[in-house]
Amino acid sequence: MIPSTLKKTDEWKSSEIVFCLTHSADLKQLWCAGSDFKVYQYDTSAEKPERQAFEGEGHTSYVTGMVRQSDSLITCGYDGQLCWWSISEKKLIRKIAAHERWGRAIAGSPDATKIYTIADDMLCKVWDAGSGELLGTLQEHAAQTPHHFPSMLYAVTTSSDGKWLATGDRIGHTAVWNTETLEKVAEIETPVMYTWDPRARRHSIGGIRSLAFSPDGNELAIGGIGKIGNIDHLGGPARLEVFDWQKGERRLEIEDNKKKGLIEQIIWSPNNEWILTAGGDHNGFLTFYDVETGDLVHQDGQSGHIHEISVGPDFDELFIAAHERVARWTMEATSTDETPPEPDESTDDDAGK
Amino acid sequence: MNLLNRRAMLKAAGAGTTAAASNMAAVDVLSQPALAKELTRKGKNVILLWLAGGASQLETWDPKPGRPTGGPFAKIQTSIPGVEISELLPKMSTRLDETAIIRSLNTKIADHGQGYFLMDRGRRAEPGLEYPHLGAILAHELGQIDSQVPDYVSMYTSTEGRRQGSAGFLGARYNPMFLTDKMIPEDIQLPDSITDTDHNDRAALRRVLSENFARQTRDPGINSHETAYERVRGLMASDHLFDVEREPQAMRDAYGPTQFGRQCLVARRLVEAGVPFVKVARAWWDSHGQNFETHRELCADLDHCMSTLLDDLKQRGLLETTLVITLGEFGRTPKINGSLGRDHFANAWSCTLSGCGIQGGTVFGKTDADGQTVIDGEMNAGDLFATIFAALGIPPDKEYMVGSRPIPIADFGSEPCQEVLS
Repeated sequence: MIPSTLKKTDEWKSSEIVFCLTHSADLKQLWCAGSDFKVYQYDTSAEKPERQAFEGEGHTSYVTGMVRQSDSLITCGYDGQLCWWSISEKKLIRKIAAHERWGRAIAGSPDATKIYTIADDMLCKVWDAGSGELLGTLQEHAAQTPHHFPSMLYAVTTSSDGKWLATGDRIGHTAVWNTETLEKVAEIETPVMYTWDPRARRHSIGGIRSLAFSPDGNELAIGGIGKIGNIDHLGGPARLEVFDWQKGERRLEIEDNKKKGLIEQIIWSPNNEWILTAGGDHNGFLTFYDVETGDLVHQDGQSGHIHEISVGPDFDELFIAAHERVARWTMEATSTDETPPEPDESTDDDAGK
Repeated sequence: MNLLNRRAMLKAAGAGTTAAASNMAAVDVLSQPALAKELTRKGKNVILLWLAGGASQLETWDPKPGRPTGGPFAKIQTSIPGVEISELLPKMSTRLDETAIIRSLNTKIADHGQGYFLMDRGRRAEPGLEYPHLGAILAHELGQIDSQVPDYVSMYTSTEGRRQGSAGFLGARYNPMFLTDKMIPEDIQLPDSITDTDHNDRAALRRVLSENFARQTRDPGINSHETAYERVRGLMASDHLFDVEREPQAMRDAYGPTQFGRQCLVARRLVEAGVPFVKVARAWWDSHGQNFETHRELCADLDHCMSTLLDDLKQRGLLETTLVITLGEFGRTPKINGSLGRDHFANAWSCTLSGCGIQGGTVFGKTDADGQTVIDGEMNAGDLFATIFAALGIPPDKEYMVGSRPIPIADFGSEPCQEVLS
């Protein structure tokens, strides 16, 4: 089934930019963080949910990534810190100086034992999710763009079996890693994701902003933005490329000019039927593509750029972290020939990240 | 003007001086070389780093981390106790001894075209008066009439926001050598058909004829015309100033590989040779989307190039006589928009002045906690220009006569900011 109806059912506005979020298996609790440096919990089952801030001196800049591992939330941020928060006690329990530059994203291993963080020091670091011990450092991405400006490392994801890890940067370079050996096993180039304007404005925009493996781990979807004429704005096509990463062959190349902007997140359906992309320019989009054909099969949008989404275990609800708001949407399909996968309690909240 | 056309320049110079001689007593210096030297030979120079499109004050000189408007970047302590700037400028944070930060510009106009006009001239447009832009004024005030190098070089290689500006009532003599596509001026070399000896011989013959003619007519415009010819000869010999390959590799490495870095190195070479005003435009800061990514790139370029330039000028003993300005048409909104961008904002923004005549280590003016309004030391464009003139030893209340009308060099009612002057 491919969801054909999207409906926003709730929206909780705030003055902050919400960059990341996750939720409980029953969807009754939602955790999010963003531009005010704090971590919040919403009781989404309440008639008028009020957010509750976690206690502790956590981040000192934007919180850009969040994963849940059992009773802990683990967050990264522009301050380079990695913070562990107790959900039950709603307070900070550990803080580690993880990176020397701005932390961009975090991903959790499916077995909940490891986390992977990336930052503008162009490193991917592997951590023990429980103890916070540094297990390894992956170095691959160039510190500078071909035009001698600082590069940035935006995207990280793991395969559903935990064997593979992918990291993607500003200039369109992706590396795939073996998570056991921590060796690089493949490289993929998507240069269209990076727009360098040599003539009018003399700087760049774009980059790989999202990655997702197919359920069998054989394909890798890479999201970002296509070439932009006026790089003052995010006025370029949302761009998605799908690769057989082991063969290095691109199978799909998709650009959407109707709802433009960055693809900030990719969710690959467990039954390998559809790919959901989320992101935007000044406003946000949610777009479903047919995995086989690459056809755009359904699309919707909202006010405010979407920075991250978190999909429920039955794939019928999702939460959105957006500009100055959090929202809940429902997804419905026209036909129901699919049995949703059983949620894994330890990893349900990291689906698709 | 993309090319420096020798014949066109001679024509323009002649026309400009004729107009000046006939219309303006104060600009009449072109026909009176002795007075011109007395008035203008000050040995001071200006390098304007024009941050075209509008750099964010919050990601540069007036950070507000921790506030809703502050963005993600931290502030860092500088070499001046109590003064903090954005972490995107780490090299400049150790080099503020010679720099004054002005955090209280309120210029009100947040449109590219009008904002450019205002910040290029220090005053709003006025019907019937074509006021010259800053480069032309300073070329006029600081240049030497018999200089063998250009008075005013403007480098603007990006196309977005490119505007040449006008010397206005000062005349075409003070229009810039405007470099857009290449950093070395085109068409200033002798044609292949003329040898250097031939060219010198022709110049000597023309000089004899001109002197005879001048004795007979006693027209001061003749001297101006002769001076223009001599300047062209000098300009033709100045192309080496634009050639950074003549610099040691270590110096080129120091300025770095970016175009802005190479242009800053050219700027240093030009002021070292006596060019009074050099503008280096670094476009394009207009970050309506992805403001923080844009500033990560452009601030790295600005930080490296500006700090290298200041170091280089200082080591050569030129910073005492060279004023380095960072300025654009406006700043950017404290409010962060839905594309993580910042829009145009002119109500509370920043610029810097370094070197000549400046009290280094100064921070003048203050904005509120969110950077929305100026709460101390509000400064408009006229005040800033008056301060620039004062730093260079040019009386801000000096007047030009345009016909019978006196026009102050700085806008009516403006005052220099004494706090940033040494």
